[in-house]
Amino acid sequence: MTMRTDAPLKTSGAARYGLDVTPPGTVYGYVVTSTIAHGEITAMDVAAVRAAPGVLAVYTPFDPLPLRTPMSPLLGETWVPLQDTEVTYYGQPVGFVVAETFEQARDAALLVEVTYDRRPARTSLHAGLADALDAPPSLHGEPPTLQVLADGVESIEDALAASAVRVDATYETATQNHAAMEPHSAVAVWEDGRLTLYSGTQGSDLQAAQLAQALDVEPARVRALNPFVGGAFGGKGHAGVSAFLGAAAARDLGRPVKAALTREQVFTATATRPATVQRLRIGADADGRLTALAHDSWSSTTATPSFVEPTSHGTSREWYTTPNLAITQKMVPLHVPPTTFMRAPGEAPGSFALESAMDELAVALGMDPVELRLRNSSIAPPGRDLQWSSKHLDECFTLGAQRFGWAQRHRRRVDRDWLVGYGTATAMFPALRFPCAVRITLRPDDTAEVATSGADPGTGLRTVLSLFGAEALAIPPERVEAALGDSTLPPGGMSGGSTATASVGSAIAVGAPAVIDALVAVATGPGGLFEGREVAYADGRVFAEGDSATFGEVLRAAGRDEVTAIGTSAPGEEMTKHSFSSFGAQFCEVRVHRWTREVRMSRMLGVFDAGRIVHEQAARSQIMGGMIWGVSAALHEGLEIEESGRPANGDFASYLIPVNADIPTVDVEFVRYPDTLHNPVGARGLGEISVVGVAAAIANAVYDATGIRVRRIPIVLEDLLE
Amino acid sequence: MRAFELTAPTTLDEALTSGATALAGGTTLVDLMKLDVLTPPRVVDINALPLRGIEVDPAGDLRIGALERMSAVAAHPQVYPVISRALLLSASQQLRNMASIGGNLMQRTRCGYFRDVAMPCNRRDPGSGCPAIEGANRMHAVLGTSDACVATHASDLAVALVALDARIELVSTQGGRSVALADFYRLPGDTPEREHDLRPGELIGEIVVPRLDWAARSTYVKVRDRQSYEFALCSVAVALDVRDGRVADVRIAAGGVGTVPWRLTAVEAALRGGPADEAAFEAAAQVAADGARPLSHNGYKTALLPRTVVRALLEVSRG
Amino acid sequence: MDITLEVNGETRHLSIDPRVTLLDALRERLGITGPKKGCDRGQCGACTVHVDGRPVLACLTLAATVREPVRTVEGLAADGRPHPVQQAFAEQDALQCGFCTSGQVMSAVAAVEQEVADVREFMSGNLCRCAAYPNIVAAVEQARSTKESADARV
Repeated sequence: MTMRTDAPLKTSGAARYGLDVTPPGTVYGYVVTSTIAHGEITAMDVAAVRAAPGVLAVYTPFDPLPLRTPMSPLLGETWVPLQDTEVTYYGQPVGFVVAETFEQARDAALLVEVTYDRRPARTSLHAGLADALDAPPSLHGEPPTLQVLADGVESIEDALAASAVRVDATYETATQNHAAMEPHSAVAVWEDGRLTLYSGTQGSDLQAAQLAQALDVEPARVRALNPFVGGAFGGKGHAGVSAFLGAAAARDLGRPVKAALTREQVFTATATRPATVQRLRIGADADGRLTALAHDSWSSTTATPSFVEPTSHGTSREWYTTPNLAITQKMVPLHVPPTTFMRAPGEAPGSFALESAMDELAVALGMDPVELRLRNSSIAPPGRDLQWSSKHLDECFTLGAQRFGWAQRHRRRVDRDWLVGYGTATAMFPALRFPCAVRITLRPDDTAEVATSGADPGTGLRTVLSLFGAEALAIPPERVEAALGDSTLPPGGMSGGSTATASVGSAIAVGAPAVIDALVAVATGPGGLFEGREVAYADGRVFAEGDSATFGEVLRAAGRDEVTAIGTSAPGEEMTKHSFSSFGAQFCEVRVHRWTREVRMSRMLGVFDAGRIVHEQAARSQIMGGMIWGVSAALHEGLEIEESGRPANGDFASYLIPVNADIPTVDVEFVRYPDTLHNPVGARGLGEISVVGVAAAIANAVYDATGIRVRRIPIVLEDLLE
Repeated sequence: MRAFELTAPTTLDEALTSGATALAGGTTLVDLMKLDVLTPPRVVDINALPLRGIEVDPAGDLRIGALERMSAVAAHPQVYPVISRALLLSASQQLRNMASIGGNLMQRTRCGYFRDVAMPCNRRDPGSGCPAIEGANRMHAVLGTSDACVATHASDLAVALVALDARIELVSTQGGRSVALADFYRLPGDTPEREHDLRPGELIGEIVVPRLDWAARSTYVKVRDRQSYEFALCSVAVALDVRDGRVADVRIAAGGVGTVPWRLTAVEAALRGGPADEAAFEAAAQVAADGARPLSHNGYKTALLPRTVVRALLEVSRG
Repeated sequence: MDITLEVNGETRHLSIDPRVTLLDALRERLGITGPKKGCDRGQCGACTVHVDGRPVLACLTLAATVREPVRTVEGLAADGRPHPVQQAFAEQDALQCGFCTSGQVMSAVAAVEQEVADVREFMSGNLCRCAAYPNIVAAVEQARSTKESADARV
């Protein structure tokens, strides 16, 4: 199999995303958002809206669609719109207009008049640092503040004071939006009390469960479909405003409702990656061995605290060997848009701080930054007994340094009018997997189906399902059809946390032997082709002594439409034996214009130890995309929130992500060590690790080129004007 | 977008007497109508009008019909490099296929407050106030500003044309008139809503670029946060005539820093007759931002402008 | 108002409000959903289609002003075979989520037809958040060499 299986559909326009469905009788919904960040809606005048041509309904907090707050073990609570008059951020959904056409709904929505009782809005992370709150426990259940101190050491301050070389610096990262190309949207259709919802999300079963709770209907009466998802990156985990309002309005009106957020609304009415402030204090001996590491983190969060960016727990907690470690994680509640996980939550902004500080330490020591990292590589997270299951970070660095020409970094400083600099950084991301069920079906036409409710938002999961199915059944992948993106399939959970490949692979490893057993039972059972005989399965055939048949022949002979089995898997005993992570080394070359000081990434290489690589091309593409996300964080993107709480740059003309011309060569390499201690297929996931470390590598390269240390991303040219 | 009536006349007279808002490429008008910034009750599609053609007239002046698309003008072999370059660094290839050059000169500012009807804006709603002065103003102007408005002019093409002393020919039922482009645009003063000198019932007919043989040596440098598909933080159009190592003549204008395309006559004067080298360029550029009024987040532009001037001069002098 | 559009070689009659963009006419009235709405403001390129053979943004084009033939990604295949650019996008993995792909392909077809010198600059009007950019450039180059060898044979 050379190409991703859905490439022909995506290149021909035939792939149907949520909004590409238009059932007969479809009407259009348009969301109205708040223009204050904090206060109460005292009145909404919608008389003109109702009178506008084509308008069918106007829903507001004073005339709401009934929705209950869904709760799920994985996602916690999901906010549902229009249930009260409180406004806690600018751009909060406060109304929903439904009309016969899109134009009528959009233009009638302009006529909504909202009256507010404004209250002061807290919108500045900096202003809130002094009275920040402790964050909730980390994902691993560790307290926000923790210390690991060597015997006889009284405090981290003592350990730092006793260090030969010290770095103490504070770094800042911006609020970001996932900005998937497909805006959050939904088409909702009710038939006989059953809802079918077409909406791009990271997990159809999670989506269906949230909708069922919100709408107070039996879970079996909600079917969520997302065979194609136009990007997600963490931003489509929770069910969205369009889905809730669309589904409830469709039920109310008895018509299919199509609703999408505008691009501008996506920046506020979905969720964002929080902004962070991070102080790093590192102490080392003269040989560059860490003696103390302190990482204090502050994250913005919503007015009623929700997601907090776990920057210190996601990085310094685990990355380096140090006898003394101190971690804090605080949060600052603000009247800002909802916060949620976004590609490498914690690790991406956390690595900017840690890996910039490591570079500052290398400078202070006069040491090669690669050598510094090799000297401090950990065999287990500090203070934990469980060693890394399979770690080849050193090989990533040595291979990468050679391939990148790292040794030449001091030779070529200027290219015409451009100053040239090199930078490097470590990347790590925990290897996880989620509970997952996959159904495997063998069919009489000698094809198989591998089916799970999970999503492929561009990760290549659809292709991976076919590959794993083919491998487990020992038949060509062309004969294995993948089915996903449908909540009626066995629960595959969420495409998130870089888990999907390991999760489905583990489930298929359980399900394939089961379906083969079922096949063998058909072959040898009453009326079977090999009734009562000893048989074995290999390469899609059932072998009896001196005889064999394809599984299709076996099924046809028995008059069976199919045999099927469901394999399930979940994290288990391995968690008590090892620590699990993927690893990588990032290398970047930047150019800074001598006169006008803009920074351009000119070359980058990432070398990754991510276990087994299942589909080479899709894996490289995903890594490449993640590395470019790092470039974007370093040089382009950041949602600027004004004092009023209004986003100053919430559109695609001013919230910058790289364009094609920003991205020259991106080189990706793997060291290939399947990690079968983690899961039976040995793959550890690579969707998120690729972004980790890149922003630091770029900032480090900017320092190398200019001698200017920028401790805030995105880096802008005025940071480099002397 | 408010409901509107759409007509598509085929003669200039019909269009000029319609009293309707002209639609050419639509890249400004349709965008701003969707945002409710512009709410014309009547729109006239002028694409069938005979305002086309790119040619050099007998006097050697370059004449460009207002309805010619940006992509066609950029690709034309007789267009000066500074014009081609300014166009090719504008927007994207799709937008350049759509947008007319008359429309390009008439495009509205990209100020985020102007584009958001939930916010005050003196340019959109006179007297309502200017949030940019105390707000998100990193992209805003430092030159030609007033207490009423600090929005930049967004056209790259206009910067190149102002450097070359271009004129625009305006057509109306009263006959035509010719206006220097530099005079066409108005500083905001206390009437920022009056952006230009186009009178009711007038359309831009063509753009005339006077003959300037040495403008074959010209370029446009655009500094921005990403490499393409973005408006300028600072841009400089320059044409340079070097003879025997000395600057015989020079034209310079800047974009991204002014409320209108900003001609740098003082820099031009400082360069004329002097050596064509980096030191002289740097010395002359020091006056580029004279009179600048920086805001809270755009003070860097006063440093960036002289540097961009030097860069443009160096690039054009190297050929 | 009543309008006529020629889309992918077929003449289609519509009765629409002047406010309807070409993008919404294609997607919501004609069922042609290859072109995507990523921003509706001319800031992303996901809606790129060809009008009169040139890439334009369908979201900023009023349907009632379109006089020339329209071609979308659905109209590229000939004789049931994908266009060389579509084939190259698939082979070079020039996509991930696929949402921007229809627009990317339409710009790439123009890049090949116009034999543009700077592919990266030309393709910069099509945002890709998955960031498949290097593979998109590789796809354009593959399609260009396919075209060159086909031209050489003629």
